[in-house]
Amino acid sequence: MNIYLLQVINGIGIGMLYFLLAVGLSIVFGLLRFVNFAHGAFYLIGAYFCYQMTRWGMSFWLALVVVPVVVGAIGWATEKLILRHVYATDHEFHILVTVGLALAVQELVILQWGPLGDSVAVPDVLQGVVMWGSFIYPKYRLFVIGFTAVLAVLLWWVLEGTRLGSAVRAGSESTEMVSLLGINVLRIFSLVFGLGAATAALAGVLASPIRGAEPFMGIEALAVAFVVVVVGGMGSFSGALLGGLMIGIVQSVMSTLWPEGARLMIYVAMAAVLLLRPHGLLGRKE
Amino acid sequence: MKKYTHFIFAAVVVAAMPLLMQSGSLASEVLIFALAAMGCNLLLGFTGLLSFGQGIFFGLGSYTLALMLTRWPVPMPLALLLATVMGALGAAVVGWVAIRQRGTYFVMLTLAFAQMFYFVAYTATGLTGGDNGLMDIPRPNLSVFGADLWTLASPWQFYGFVSVIFLVVFWLLLKVSRSTFGRTLLAVRDNEERAAAIGYNLRLLKLQVFVISGAVTGLAGALHAMMTGLAPLSNAEYHTSEMILVMTVIGGTGNLFASLLGSAFYLLLADWLSQLWPRWLLLLGIALMAVSLWMQRGLWGLGETVWNRLQGHRKQSADTVVAPSAAAVPAKGEQA
Amino acid sequence: MSPKTPILLEAIDVEKHYGKFAALGGVSLQVRANTVHSVIGPNGAGKTTLFHMLTGTKTVSGGRILFDGQDVTHEPDHRRVQRGIARSFQVTSLFLSLPVRENLRLGAQGVQPARALNPWHEPVGARAQSQVIDAVLSKVGLENLADTPAGNLSHGQQRRLEVGMALAARPKAIFLDEPTSGMGIDDLDDMKRLIKSLRDEHTVVLIEHNMNIVMDISDTVTVMQMGRVLAEGMPHDIRSDERVRTAYLGNMITGGKA
Repeated sequence: MNIYLLQVINGIGIGMLYFLLAVGLSIVFGLLRFVNFAHGAFYLIGAYFCYQMTRWGMSFWLALVVVPVVVGAIGWATEKLILRHVYATDHEFHILVTVGLALAVQELVILQWGPLGDSVAVPDVLQGVVMWGSFIYPKYRLFVIGFTAVLAVLLWWVLEGTRLGSAVRAGSESTEMVSLLGINVLRIFSLVFGLGAATAALAGVLASPIRGAEPFMGIEALAVAFVVVVVGGMGSFSGALLGGLMIGIVQSVMSTLWPEGARLMIYVAMAAVLLLRPHGLLGRKE
Repeated sequence: MKKYTHFIFAAVVVAAMPLLMQSGSLASEVLIFALAAMGCNLLLGFTGLLSFGQGIFFGLGSYTLALMLTRWPVPMPLALLLATVMGALGAAVVGWVAIRQRGTYFVMLTLAFAQMFYFVAYTATGLTGGDNGLMDIPRPNLSVFGADLWTLASPWQFYGFVSVIFLVVFWLLLKVSRSTFGRTLLAVRDNEERAAAIGYNLRLLKLQVFVISGAVTGLAGALHAMMTGLAPLSNAEYHTSEMILVMTVIGGTGNLFASLLGSAFYLLLADWLSQLWPRWLLLLGIALMAVSLWMQRGLWGLGETVWNRLQGHRKQSADTVVAPSAAAVPAKGEQA
Repeated sequence: MSPKTPILLEAIDVEKHYGKFAALGGVSLQVRANTVHSVIGPNGAGKTTLFHMLTGTKTVSGGRILFDGQDVTHEPDHRRVQRGIARSFQVTSLFLSLPVRENLRLGAQGVQPARALNPWHEPVGARAQSQVIDAVLSKVGLENLADTPAGNLSHGQQRRLEVGMALAARPKAIFLDEPTSGMGIDDLDDMKRLIKSLRDEHTVVLIEHNMNIVMDISDTVTVMQMGRVLAEGMPHDIRSDERVRTAYLGNMITGGKA
């Protein structure tokens, strides 16, 4: 099978995971004006909770449902109990409190599961490859693409179709207006933050059979999430999707041509966007 | 006399460390990272610029010194100077680009640059040794025309050398912080738009502080390479930038001596705790959160509060700047 | 005020568009030296936009601006500060963590911004510009609060400091954007006296909603509506102008001396 086609499909798969990882960060920024440096930590514990559940003999499918809910609740509680108190201070401290949180979570993970990292098995029904003529591709990766696509549609529906979604979108425009309309802005903040954490954790669960669970994956995930959010546009759902796919495909294709350059290129792209069009490809102009 | 209080504090700490500590290397490390933290403080505490790129300048300093001392017969003082200059140049480039954006976009630009530098350092193995870094960096004695003035071989001898450099740089930075330039930076930190509206050239001001910060951080990186004999890739990693930021914030922003406090706190805690409990960074993460939430003026602020309570009246040191949020809640301007 | 007083500042057919929206549609204005020239009008009339054009805070879409005989149309605000144009802001914009004295020093220093890059010398002695600062402190009545952080001042005191910062630049023309906004009765009188006293050494251009002040202290009043000049003249002429009354829906022009 054509190696470039393979890499493009890999890129789509990675890109969809990047989208899932980044969309929470983007929406949180759009609404809370908050750059959450602890976002990667939610991805991290998503992967590890999934690992732990499979260690306890539970099915991957159960983890896929339970872990995002649990981590989402943790995210919700974090915003309510900790982050809320920092809004009144200088913006540097918004960032720094989440840096501290990320560091603490990473150490807690190592404390609990050790510094080395573990692997998560692909669920039985998805093991092996799909063969269709000359097209051969791992089943699990196809599942990831399909599942995240469905999830993207679901998230889109929540944002566009529900009252919560409307409140979030309105709040991204102006939190003052939203509170004048009688909507409890603080409660929405917590919910949105929790949703962001849940999607990041879900990305972690989905990624774990491919990448395993490893304590430093949070930092790496955060860096990539930043690139996707910047390129796609902070606060934009479709920007996260477009950005995720672009970065995923570029990275995947480049990995056959010039592996180290691939990582370098995405950060150059990030810097270029920040300089030339800081609101990203699909973001709203400030 | 009041003007020099902080310098005296610093000198006292420098003199006290050999008396109280056993490891000369650790003491040198405290001063080296205090230099880096002061560089970070100039950006964050004085100008309001949160930079995740300090590791770039630290790494540049290390690599430059390593190359100067291992590949070419460059005298050590010149190598140190060149490392400082490289730090300044790197900061000029990063700064010139990054200050085109403000706020969150600025922070993310410094992150992007830090990552770029990391991957360039990783791939340019001819210059940087890639993943292995550069090794076997000598520690030549300080000599003039072949005559040895100062042996630096033992840890405490090296500490003496570092402490002189530290005190000189500290004094220079104190002068900068009190200068017209330093005072204008505070205005930029408080209210950029107004500063621009009343006539100041924000770009030049920010660029100048970047260059000074980069120079000091590059010097720190070079001294670190001399001390450990290594210029590892990890100097360019996110964790180094994070560490420098943590020291700066925990010590206290807006006060140069506080950076020495922050560096000492971090490194001494690390040294003491890491033997007892390898996961001591957890406490540090929690400490960072606590400072961000409740103690924005850091250890120095804490010390000041305690001192004022003991004294029974409120006063503020001449060399500490108050962060805008620490001032009383301002009356809100209303729209007519 | 003699008609022969020289014109310090002139706007000629100034336009400003934000996309399709025309904030200013050809405004011409002449401000004479050492006068108090007020600009009034309903909300949305374009008063603050006109200020932005005259002070250089934002760029014009069309027209010209002359200051002291020179064409300054394309000069940004920090360049115009050096020529002698300074402004205060409608929403208080001070350096809150810094003492009042330092705020003023920064305002005074802004006229020579290159000095601000000096990383060695402290602003003491001659560099401290104490004379200017002390003069401004007494003019705005903040001598006793010189060492207080600006964030700790009352609203009225902060509004006075706003004016003070513009004064510290020793401008030829000082632009005050709603200097009394949000002020209580006591503060209002102080501000009125302050503005009146500025006429001798400066030219004052004023946006105000408080008609008492406008009618009482202005030499010239320009009325704006929907991005254009509706009427211009001396206070009592404006007060009795039919078009102006209609623009303000009749009875809002009150106060001042008959």
